[in-house]
Amino acid sequence: MDGPGELRTTAPIEELDRAVLVRVTAGELHALEELYDRYRAMAYSIALRITGEPAAAEDVVQDAFLGVWRHADRYAEARGSVKTWLLSIVHHRSVDAVRRRRPTTELPEPEASPPEQLVLPDVWTEVARGIDAAAVQSALASLSDVQREALELAYFGGLTQTEIAERTSTPLGTVKSRMRLGLLAMRRGLEMGLER
Amino acid sequence: MTRYDCDQVRDLLPAYVLGALERDEEAAVREHLATCDLHAEAAELGGVVPYLAETVDPVEPPAALRSKIMALAAADLEARRAQAPVPAPAVVPAPVAAPRAAAPERRGFRLSWSFAFQAAAVAVVVALGALSLNLQNRITGLEGDIAAARAYETAVNNVLAAAAEEGSQTVVLGPGEGFASGGIAAIRADGSVVLAMHDLDPTVGTEVYEAWVIIGSDAPIPIGNFGVASAGTASFTSAPTPAGAGAIVALTREPGPGALTPTLPIISLGTAIGPTS
Repeated sequence: MDGPGELRTTAPIEELDRAVLVRVTAGELHALEELYDRYRAMAYSIALRITGEPAAAEDVVQDAFLGVWRHADRYAEARGSVKTWLLSIVHHRSVDAVRRRRPTTELPEPEASPPEQLVLPDVWTEVARGIDAAAVQSALASLSDVQREALELAYFGGLTQTEIAERTSTPLGTVKSRMRLGLLAMRRGLEMGLER
Repeated sequence: MTRYDCDQVRDLLPAYVLGALERDEEAAVREHLATCDLHAEAAELGGVVPYLAETVDPVEPPAALRSKIMALAAADLEARRAQAPVPAPAVVPAPVAAPRAAAPERRGFRLSWSFAFQAAAVAVVVALGALSLNLQNRITGLEGDIAAARAYETAVNNVLAAAAEEGSQTVVLGPGEGFASGGIAAIRADGSVVLAMHDLDPTVGTEVYEAWVIIGSDAPIPIGNFGVASAGTASFTSAPTPAGAGAIVALTREPGPGALTPTLPIISLGTAIGPTS
């Protein structure tokens, strides 16, 4: 669903977030508090799910919000919502925390600046906002077991695609294919939820 | 860095948008996407990734995490201000003005409590140590600066520990007009104030620095005093005070202990943020 540009909408909460981030950039502590209060549970939940340890999750959330505090000027509106940006930082650092436990991994120190957002949002992402957790669960449930496993090991397990192949005793090419098809199937599932 | 062609990047895109590449591979893909029209495909695959986060049941973090983050952000802000001090707003209810002796000449040193600063200062000291005796005064000054930085770091750690307690508020104290001093403070749930200050002029004779809390438009309440040595740093903890949300913490220099009204000018000032919800 490569919808037309006029379908692009901006939810009020996103406008609020952007205004808050401007204040964070100006060094306003209350603005950081506001952002923290809005997203602390979501940030902590993701970090806890990925790291599996409350102490590690706290470190990740602390590091992510301080990263936002110090580098809010690096947020680019064209790259999507503040929420997506913030949670992508939490995800990235959670994965780093998991991988840092590996004996042979070399990773940047957590004080490094926040990562760039991985992808630009597309029009679909914009119009699909407002989808609730139940719709996402439903879309995820529409995937085959192996596709869902590949997505979950990648996103929540902190594993690389090579590690997923090893973990599941599956050829790397098959893992790549499962992730691609799983993402596309999930997108279709969410689109169907939107049309209902 | 590895460079990929379009076919390789297309092959890596699903893992890329899910964060399932090694970080060096991820950086190479990102670099490629900056100049390639595969963006649309990356967006198509990546657009759903944020929704994976929606599948996680929300879990509240410990309340103390909020205080800790805010205290660290406040300390960070304070360190930024120490780099480029700005005058604090003069919003103190009608204190008694009194003449004050001219401040002694400052050393012109902006105190930073970071480890990076300490490491740099130590390196400078070592380098200077090999030079001739006429640099000795400079070395002595830097050693004093390092001691000051360490003292301030200890004081800040005390504040951060208090700020991490449930119900604590954080205060960033900016310099009053014409001063370079600054600091951070935590106001505990019982109203006791834990304060860390830097770049204060040393006290002489019976002089003390008096800390005040100001609540709304009420008269300032003295909460305790302390002397300052040549290092210019101070660590102070008060008894419980009535300070609540939005209280102002201020610092004045007084001729002696026991001041009931602040003697202008205000040396440093800041407003509490919080408390922990």
